Amino acid sequence: MNFWHLCSNVLLGLAATTAFNSTGHADNRRTSQAPVPVFAEEAGAAGINHTYDGAWEFFVGGGVAVFDCNGDRRPDLFLAGGNNPAQLFVNQSASGGALRFSPKETGLSGKQSAKVLGAYPLDFNNDDRLDLVVLRLGENLLLEGKGDCTFEIANRALGFDGGREWTTSFSATYEAASDHPTLAFGNYVDRSQPGSPWGTCHDNFLFRPELSAAGQVSYPNPVRLSPGYCSLSMLFTDWNRSGEQSLRISNDRHYYRGGQEQLWAVSPNRPPRPFRKTDGWQHLKIWGMGIASIDLDVDGFPEYALTSMGDTKLQTLDVEADETVPVYQDIAFDLGLTAHRPYTGDDLKPSTGWHSEFQDVNNDGLWDLFIAKGNVEAMPDFAAYDPDNLLIGQWDGKFVEAGDVAGIDLDRRGRGAGLADFNADGLLDLIVVNRAAPVSLFRNLGEGTTATVKPLGNWIAIDVRQPGRANTRAVGAKISVKTGNRTVVKDIQIGAGHASGQLGFVHFGLGVAERANIRIKWPDGDWSHGYRVFANGHVIIERGAEKAHLWYPE
Amino acid sequence: MTPVSRAALLSLVFTLVFDSKVLADPDLPPWSERAIQDDIDIESLATSGQDPIPLLQALGEHLFAAKFTSLDGAGRPDATGASVPTKVRRQSHLRFQRLAGPDANACASCHNEPVVGGAGAFTANVFVSEGFESADFDTIDPQFSNERNTNAIQGAGLIELLAREMTADLRRQRHDVLSLARRNGRPETADLETKGISFGRLTAYPDGTLDVSRLDGIDDDLTIRPFSQKGVFASLRQFTVNAMNAHHGIQASERFGPRWTGTDDFDADGVSAEMTPGQISALVAWQATLPAPTRKKNLPDIWQSASTRGESVFGEIGCASCHVPALPLESLIFHDPGPFDTAGTLRQSDMEKPLALDLATLDWIKSLPRDERGRTLVPLFGDLKRHKIADAQNETYGNELLAQRFVARDVFITAELWGIGSTAPYGHRGDLTTLNEAILAHGGDATQSRKDYSALSESDRQSVIAFLRSLEIAQ
Repeated sequence: MNFWHLCSNVLLGLAATTAFNSTGHADNRRTSQAPVPVFAEEAGAAGINHTYDGAWEFFVGGGVAVFDCNGDRRPDLFLAGGNNPAQLFVNQSASGGALRFSPKETGLSGKQSAKVLGAYPLDFNNDDRLDLVVLRLGENLLLEGKGDCTFEIANRALGFDGGREWTTSFSATYEAASDHPTLAFGNYVDRSQPGSPWGTCHDNFLFRPELSAAGQVSYPNPVRLSPGYCSLSMLFTDWNRSGEQSLRISNDRHYYRGGQEQLWAVSPNRPPRPFRKTDGWQHLKIWGMGIASIDLDVDGFPEYALTSMGDTKLQTLDVEADETVPVYQDIAFDLGLTAHRPYTGDDLKPSTGWHSEFQDVNNDGLWDLFIAKGNVEAMPDFAAYDPDNLLIGQWDGKFVEAGDVAGIDLDRRGRGAGLADFNADGLLDLIVVNRAAPVSLFRNLGEGTTATVKPLGNWIAIDVRQPGRANTRAVGAKISVKTGNRTVVKDIQIGAGHASGQLGFVHFGLGVAERANIRIKWPDGDWSHGYRVFANGHVIIERGAEKAHLWYPE
Repeated sequence: MTPVSRAALLSLVFTLVFDSKVLADPDLPPWSERAIQDDIDIESLATSGQDPIPLLQALGEHLFAAKFTSLDGAGRPDATGASVPTKVRRQSHLRFQRLAGPDANACASCHNEPVVGGAGAFTANVFVSEGFESADFDTIDPQFSNERNTNAIQGAGLIELLAREMTADLRRQRHDVLSLARRNGRPETADLETKGISFGRLTAYPDGTLDVSRLDGIDDDLTIRPFSQKGVFASLRQFTVNAMNAHHGIQASERFGPRWTGTDDFDADGVSAEMTPGQISALVAWQATLPAPTRKKNLPDIWQSASTRGESVFGEIGCASCHVPALPLESLIFHDPGPFDTAGTLRQSDMEKPLALDLATLDWIKSLPRDERGRTLVPLFGDLKRHKIADAQNETYGNELLAQRFVARDVFITAELWGIGSTAPYGHRGDLTTLNEAILAHGGDATQSRKDYSALSESDRQSVIAFLRSLEIAQ
């Protein structure tokens, strides 16, 4: 008998494999095998004191723009306030440390900063400084970024009529050969119509850029996207890998009559046209509140998560469909993604979903889905305690709820949100705008504590630029990340979610891969060469550059 | 072996159990065909205050020599040998095969010359590739694989410690130049150098971005990866996890377990949780504590005289500019896990406290010279840097079709020459039978030295060979 056998008098079985974070919920829901990150709420400590509130008009909205407004590459925040003033917070978080923000004047008047429902960043004037589109109850604003988180209202300079509508959604795209973005604004109820609010949804608007003989751009003639069905989220998306962006609009059935979810063909130099039943588009009526899009199976046809009251949909192009017929089937149930009622607590009434976003919060290389949840106000037929969802992607393609395990299950009515790495530690943090309650700001601690953050999988953060060209932030580009023989893709888009947009580093989890090959499909369809990068860092890929630049936030 | 208290051992040693029969009677019979029987709780060991080396070494030695069986999980019918868990496109009908692997029963079945842990003959070559998905088809296409000779592991602990210190130093220099650029508001450039080895230039910009296009011989992340012929693995631990899967089909839980794959039997061979972090630590510790190569003692006068002359010539003709005779090492504490491993290889952040192996306690370490600052001089005859080593005129070392882990086909890390007298054949493919052939095969950055060697008198060329053949792995 050898040394080891002698020692084996104490024999303990290791048969029990590692068990990750049991939920403890009575419904015996599945436990995530993928690691679940721990989130610590620290909005107050981070210096963010902000509440979105207001009357009926602000039951919806409550967005946040996550973008770098001072050129330090760290994501800053513009928060809608409803009746309260919108606020700008500049990111001063130390790398890898606690989150820290400081408020900064928006430069807007009291009147202009009030009645804000949401905001989306983009670079509409191609100066490589991010601008902001502000959605309001009343005149929408185009804010031109002037650097150092200062802005100027550009409505007049751009001939843009911000309107008087109740604007609740937005998306932008660069149509073929255009150096300037096409802007789509989605509106909610037209309160001025007789019988409002029932059946009185406002039309949506499409603003296409026009160039003067002198080369000046303006947006003088909006096109009506009629009928409107009370849009709460919209997204320009290349649903059929045609290279042309169509406009998907998610609508609130609570107020429309005869409405449905919509998809508009927006072909260059042609009037927009809604897909109809004869085009294969199927009638779907939901309380559509937030769109999240990702190509889960990397087949070139994105999947769409649509939040609603009750169950979330996950639409995938039907196997019977082809690239001309937008027929979708709902696979949310199959993948465990319905999130139709609170996963914890005693309230079994249906959920109310708002902002949704696919990201990889545990860096395992699988997409996860965040959904902001919250009762509209006091709707008795829907859950009052309705915690936000964190659905963790599993290796079998399904999703497992872990919001409570992660610690984001606060008793607040979530609306808009955004996931971004505020402290540049490779773990996506989370901001949630709540109705009539303080903003929640969660720091992702990995598997650690506030004292000691512990990383999860490997990751890479990618910023894509087109220097010297229009569309500096490459909206419409596709980022392809290959590790081993596995590829994941993500599009750079402006739109979706609920009244909340982001622009900046795009985050990918790499799991156990220590390297990755990145390729960019630029907005004009050209593919880049492969960029070879090592895990756990920030890279900047400029069109035409031989090598990626690295960024160190130390 | 240092005496270890029995009580402490008993508290730290476990025996693996995989099926209900064994659970019912966990004490395996002495005729058991299972090679992996024991485990070590490294969390407890790390905090026990005990010297971890004796315990880990013993199990590591056993595992290194063990011929793994199907009962241990040898074979990977549903997985490739890739370092990232990857499913095969189609299964092979063969449990073992020499191309796509698994290709070995034991570590020691290749690493065995002149002693266990050593190098291997051409017979023991392996094929490296991450592209194998179909053993039936991919492996007959040379673009999918490179053939590699087995490296000796002796002294690997010191090599990894040197690499860690160099990585930390280079990253500090990166931090400094970034700070300078931010402070001065203009681009700043730094020449990177550590332990006397230059790694090119780095330009930092005030916004925190870096231009890494002029780095030389190192990856963009400034991690020295000293292991493998190519120089693409950062740690013994990372290499061991890779090799256990690639060569044996034994999948370590820290990379192939449910956390990162959703299953505890990723290779679908019916055996779950095939190798624990404790067992990997044992293998790492055994390798890290292997005595470094030495010089032959009691050489006959004619050899000693030639060797002395050869060592001098070796320096004069520039060989020593890459095959640097010795690099200084500040600390002999080998932490496992190491500081620069990433997810998929156990990290320091995955433990309360890493194991601390004090290599200074090992007898063979005490014979190594120290410099005036008390640093251990590691006589590796290498620089832990990659170089272009082939060109159009001399393409012997560029005879592959496949880049490996971002490193071009004609670029390899400088082979450490310590022990070279015991590790014939030579070259990354092991297809050069004499040292003279290996020297003459140098091209690229080593062209001038090769020319200078060629221009030497026959006597001086022989002296260089005499010197190199005096560098041995003790038996």
